[in-house]
Amino acid sequence: MDWITNWLANSAIVQDIITLAKPATFNLYFALISIPLGFPFAMLLALGKNSKNRILSTLSKAYIYAFRGSPLFIQFFMFYSFALSLNRSLWKPWGIDEIVLHPLFLGPLVLVLNTSAYAAEIFYGVMRTVPNGQIEAARAIGMNRWQEFWSVTWPNTIRLAWPAYTNEVVFLFHATALVYFTLPVINDQKDLMNKAGELFEKDYNVFLHFSVAALYFVAISMFIFFTFGLVQKYLSRHIRKEERQKFRFKPNYMR
Amino acid sequence: MIESIIESLVNLLGEDWRAGLEYITNGKHMMWYASIRFTLIAAIAGAAFAVLFGLLGAALKQSAIAPLRWIGSFYVNIVRGVPDVLFFLFFPLAFEQFVEYIFSRTRCTAEEIASNAGSWPPCDAAQWYLEGNDYLILACVSFGIVYGAFAANVIHGAMQAVPHGQLEAAQAYGFTKKQVFWRFKVRQMWTYALPGLSNVWMLLLKATSLLSLLQIADIVLWADRLGAPNYLARAGMVHPDWRWKYYLVLFVFYILMTMLSERVFDWLQRRANRGMVEVN
Amino acid sequence: MKKLLLTMVLAAFATTGFAADKVRFGTEGAYAPWNFMDDNGKLAGFEIELGAELCRRAKLECEFVVNEWDSIIPNLMAGNYDVIMAGMSVTEKRKETVMFSDEYYPADPSRYAAASGDKFDFDNLKGKKIGAQGATVQAGYLEANLKEGNTIKLYEKPDQSVADLAAGNIDLLLADDSFLKPVVDGSGGNIVFVGPGVQIGGGVALGMRPKDTELAGKMNAALAEVKKDGTLDNMIKEFFKKGPFYATEEKSAMTMESLLKKINALEMRVKELEKK
Repeated sequence: MDWITNWLANSAIVQDIITLAKPATFNLYFALISIPLGFPFAMLLALGKNSKNRILSTLSKAYIYAFRGSPLFIQFFMFYSFALSLNRSLWKPWGIDEIVLHPLFLGPLVLVLNTSAYAAEIFYGVMRTVPNGQIEAARAIGMNRWQEFWSVTWPNTIRLAWPAYTNEVVFLFHATALVYFTLPVINDQKDLMNKAGELFEKDYNVFLHFSVAALYFVAISMFIFFTFGLVQKYLSRHIRKEERQKFRFKPNYMR
Repeated sequence: MIESIIESLVNLLGEDWRAGLEYITNGKHMMWYASIRFTLIAAIAGAAFAVLFGLLGAALKQSAIAPLRWIGSFYVNIVRGVPDVLFFLFFPLAFEQFVEYIFSRTRCTAEEIASNAGSWPPCDAAQWYLEGNDYLILACVSFGIVYGAFAANVIHGAMQAVPHGQLEAAQAYGFTKKQVFWRFKVRQMWTYALPGLSNVWMLLLKATSLLSLLQIADIVLWADRLGAPNYLARAGMVHPDWRWKYYLVLFVFYILMTMLSERVFDWLQRRANRGMVEVN
Repeated sequence: MKKLLLTMVLAAFATTGFAADKVRFGTEGAYAPWNFMDDNGKLAGFEIELGAELCRRAKLECEFVVNEWDSIIPNLMAGNYDVIMAGMSVTEKRKETVMFSDEYYPADPSRYAAASGDKFDFDNLKGKKIGAQGATVQAGYLEANLKEGNTIKLYEKPDQSVADLAAGNIDLLLADDSFLKPVVDGSGGNIVFVGPGVQIGGGVALGMRPKDTELAGKMNAALAEVKKDGTLDNMIKEFFKKGPFYATEEKSAMTMESLLKKINALEMRVKELEKK
């Protein structure tokens, strides 16, 4: 057993895995805050784009197009410098400047704005394929709009969109790597990319440090696929086994 | 030429516009506009490399030899499994070290390597000096590898979608397996791959905003320089922090590029669909 | 693929050949009035002019390359350029990796800048957000002395730190006096100097790789010339409105030397007396 403890103590990889554990929590934090906030916002946007109200649908369309059509990297820079320019006139008098300009707030905010556009496009695409017969049935039994949404559109959308939404969540997790390239680093609040870069500058061992950072990203992505796969199973529990959409563990990864 | 354009615009809009027009056409702004070339080069060369790596990856993925298949799957899955920015930064650094390692095999003595243990490169003679353009080339290749993995998946799927009958017909005419692959599968699959490839192009286009991370003086870096507050008259116009305005311009610029790309791909798709049976 | 790698390796060989021809100066290009990008999009500033003058005197062909501050030493070591000329003060820590020339600007006290109207108790700074540029002597000072009880914010670029100070995102900015002076002067009274100056680090000098002793010799010789004939003092006066610092150096150096000799002689005498 000695050689195992020895190896664990001396292995550079193990050392790196330990060093990068805390930075990984920052990436996790950004993702864990942004996913639950982005989800309802995306649903609203999708409904907006699907809406018969011209103004509402145009606004939602424009929002989704703008955020999907421009780089997140630029969005981070733009929102930070914009928030900064409003600091003296708005945030300071309101006493919320500490919060608004903090990367732990602004990072998730921009991520939410970004991911909800992508997720909304997924939901919107799926909403249009919700089986017509079910909607007709809902109307036939005298459901109002709200009931129709909750009992037909919503469950169908979620179930059908889930695999694509899973990909989006993984992409969102990958996008957390950009936060500290664009927002200021405060004290020791460093994420995986940050810390890996710092370690690299000390010994120039690009293969070791970047690989371990990559390992974290791959491992957490796999974990997301696994848990979201369980949810998918739960969502399609009422459907006959043969007809279930097969949840592909090897994901499509296309944003 | 710029002066005459400004003159005619001032005539059109009024004298109030002169200062502003002159400001946005000064040398520093011209450098900014010119730096778009890096973005375009990276996008186009990156796309070319991506198609290359995509074809290679797809060919590997459906190879008859198992280890090659594994390599293909490993490439496609690992590269897509990590953030693009990670691989984008990793590849140039790794490639530089790889070249320096090759150099060190012939240029360094054993004593030098021993005395230099723990630092890189192993000896001074193995140093690879990188200049501005080298970084751009590395960035393009880096984009190619990252988005090649995405393209490989698209191409792989598209090849599967090529009607089997066409390939069987080709075989029946006596074409070899290799010929069937390159002359029929690869040629026929483009139509099916186009929507997916357009998606990859959009990803790549947006990723070109990362060039400044490799210290390439691209539109993002120049926008930052232009927007940064300046208090020294000698250094140019004195102004407060204007960065958000310049980033807003970039935001709009990328949206316009996306729109343009959509148009081009729509046109390509219509062309590619000529002679195909309407499915819907 | 193989061919591609081959061409890239060949390209690498080709560029290594070029590297020795020109002496390349790495600078930040964002640190007015030392080095900055002017409205023509060209590098300008005190160091750009001084660098050109030094190269002219040393009969070297030179060019400036822009490199971000936080990687400016690693990239010197990696050979991206041969000389750092970026307002870098000499410190013991940097001396471990970099070989410095003689100084071309005397040790400059660092100052605090703040928004006008803000009051500070400098004997007991607590609960403040204090900014500095990362990887600078000021950053080191803040980390070592004021980390407890305050938030230290470090910026990659100097203009980011000024932007955050102007926007009120930090209470205090610690930076070189020479860099803050134009900011305070040009801010229309919004940004002011506060508190006492802090002396950190030594004078400003060129940084080179330790093995490049020949280049360092040439640079030091050229520096001695521009110091002696007053060129350097004139440049400092033009850009910083300070000085003169160096035109009299030769004289004072002479006196220092003679003083040292006298001290040595006295010490010898004392030792002799002790023996007796």
